[in-house]
Amino acid sequence: MTDQATGPGRARPAAPPAAPPAGVPVRAEDAPVAPPRRRRREAGPVFYVIIALLVMMALGPILLMVTTSLKLQVDIVSSAPGLLFAPTLQNYETVLCDVLWYEPEHVRFCDPTFSRALGNSLIVATVSTVLTLLIGTMAAYAIVRFRFMGRDAVSLGTLLMRMVPPAVLLVPIFGIWTFQYGLNDTYAGIVLVYVAMNLPFVIWILQSFISQVPMPLEEAARMDGANPWQVFLLVVLPLIKPGLAAAAIFTFRIAWNEFILANVLLGRNTRTVPVTIVNSLTEHNIDWGVIMATGMLLAVPPVIFTLLASRQIITGMTAGAVKG
Amino acid sequence: MPVIELENLRKDYGGATVMEGLDLTMEDGEFTVLVGPSGCGKSTTLRMIAGLEDVTDGRILIGGRDVTDLDPKERDLAMVFQDYALYPHMNVARNMSFALRLQRMDKAEIDRRVRDVAEVLGLTDYLGRKPAALSGGQRQRVAMGRALVRDASTFLFDEPLSNLDAKLRGQMRAELAETRQRVEKNMIYVTHDQVEAMTLGDRIVVMRAGRIMQVGTPEELFRRPRNLFVAGFIGSPPMNFLPGRIEEGRVVGEGFALPLGPGRAGGAAPSGAVTVGLRPSAFRRAADGDIPFRVEISEYLGATSVLVGRLGTARVQVEVDTPAPVRVGETLQLGVDPDQLHLFDPQTEAAL
Repeated sequence: MTDQATGPGRARPAAPPAAPPAGVPVRAEDAPVAPPRRRRREAGPVFYVIIALLVMMALGPILLMVTTSLKLQVDIVSSAPGLLFAPTLQNYETVLCDVLWYEPEHVRFCDPTFSRALGNSLIVATVSTVLTLLIGTMAAYAIVRFRFMGRDAVSLGTLLMRMVPPAVLLVPIFGIWTFQYGLNDTYAGIVLVYVAMNLPFVIWILQSFISQVPMPLEEAARMDGANPWQVFLLVVLPLIKPGLAAAAIFTFRIAWNEFILANVLLGRNTRTVPVTIVNSLTEHNIDWGVIMATGMLLAVPPVIFTLLASRQIITGMTAGAVKG
Repeated sequence: MPVIELENLRKDYGGATVMEGLDLTMEDGEFTVLVGPSGCGKSTTLRMIAGLEDVTDGRILIGGRDVTDLDPKERDLAMVFQDYALYPHMNVARNMSFALRLQRMDKAEIDRRVRDVAEVLGLTDYLGRKPAALSGGQRQRVAMGRALVRDASTFLFDEPLSNLDAKLRGQMRAELAETRQRVEKNMIYVTHDQVEAMTLGDRIVVMRAGRIMQVGTPEELFRRPRNLFVAGFIGSPPMNFLPGRIEEGRVVGEGFALPLGPGRAGGAAPSGAVTVGLRPSAFRRAADGDIPFRVEISEYLGATSVLVGRLGTARVQVEVDTPAPVRVGETLQLGVDPDQLHLFDPQTEAAL
């Protein structure tokens, strides 16, 4: 960066040094070509040091994970650290052995735990996300648009529920799920908990989106002959897509990453990935390479999901609906 | 086209009665305008007819059918909203066809209707655009188009032009009047603008504080207002009101005396006190005029001028033909047409 600043090819003296704020998609064509409007204060070296530190803090662990996942156990435990090693995909092969189309030669016994856990995670996270959004939108719509007794109390109460830490609920949930309903070790059990856990926040987010949908739009739809369901599905829902996307990302990632409740409530066959990773730390052997490879694979679905969902997060959905 | 009847319509908002016993019949194929200042209940009335607002008491009949408790979609009405209320996620064509698609109408038929209406409203080039990419006037047209494709029995307009600038409003008003000639439907139009009411309405309903002050054709309202409120509301510039009393076939106020036409003012209050109403246009310049009028403010509009001066001690507005601008301080001789003199009871505010 400093090279650039002194180099002869430096064309734009006032080019913005920092990346755009997170979450704001910048299209390539409107980012750099804008002519310098006014000279911005030159960013000093301290600024770059801070940026570098922040980047290191963010990327460091990921880098460590990537490199470790590409190393053999020998390289990992060797006293000569560093970036000089022969990268290998062996760890990934070990993790994915039962879904690969070929049989990796170094794998003597193929442990299907990870692919099973990945499947479990996908099922649990997806089902809880879908259920949460389904119930959440309807609840939020009711709270915003319908008049009923205790409406404000419900609205506030849902958020209050969110303030209870999951760890507090752990023991009672475990007791009730296991001894009363036999929901331990089942998908239904954990999905139920995740839905209950995420609903308050989702309802709360969606409330603000729904209340921004102008009332005359719904009235227009009613005049056009839409029944209440059609008003909701054809007019309100498309307009709160950004809210749905934000809520979906939020819910999916919590369900995907959650450890404590999953660890307690899930059994051998229904365990999700975070639990599986921790369980693979045994007293005999800690295969860091495999654990890191699992971690990298764990990160893939939420990244894809977030990228897809965040494309729906655009502002100005209701632009042009009513006179501003 | 069905007759719309409102019977003893009542509306309470959280304990407060905003409308008490409204009776109104809108005839077949009529363009009815509900007009009044804000808060008079005109929009509430329209929304109750539409079915968007609950009726506290009374009945709404459309074509003899009691629709008081029916959903909007069962009333066969189309409505144009004040702030357009276009579906922002649909393009113009889909906005207009929304109702038809809900009815599961044949695709080709939908397409035909949308094209026809778009043609009429000059929207053909914009059918693929989203509302956000349209100007205010175009959005207004789309809102209108959405109602027109419906082919409903009755069209409701809730102050459809109030968001447009003055020039565009005039233009849309003309277009609306033209559309009205072509579309033989009931139309109910709410506005606070008496010019819109006068130019568009077959019949005007003047409302105030949840009550009907007068129902009549534009001409009736202008020539024979039934009370002070209607007299002051209809007409621009507004009517001048002066206190006075009846004396020997004349109406006499502070510093002026105007002759009455024969047979007028039979029912004046015992004291003889009246409120005299004089439209600015009731004055005319005349060499034989017996009212000296010293101009204090002169607004030259071209063919006419609106002048402010005094009639006796009271300030009045006068609108007279002016070949050339009138200078402030000039004194004109004015006369008043006795037929254009309105008299009101100062207590009841009713016309005499």
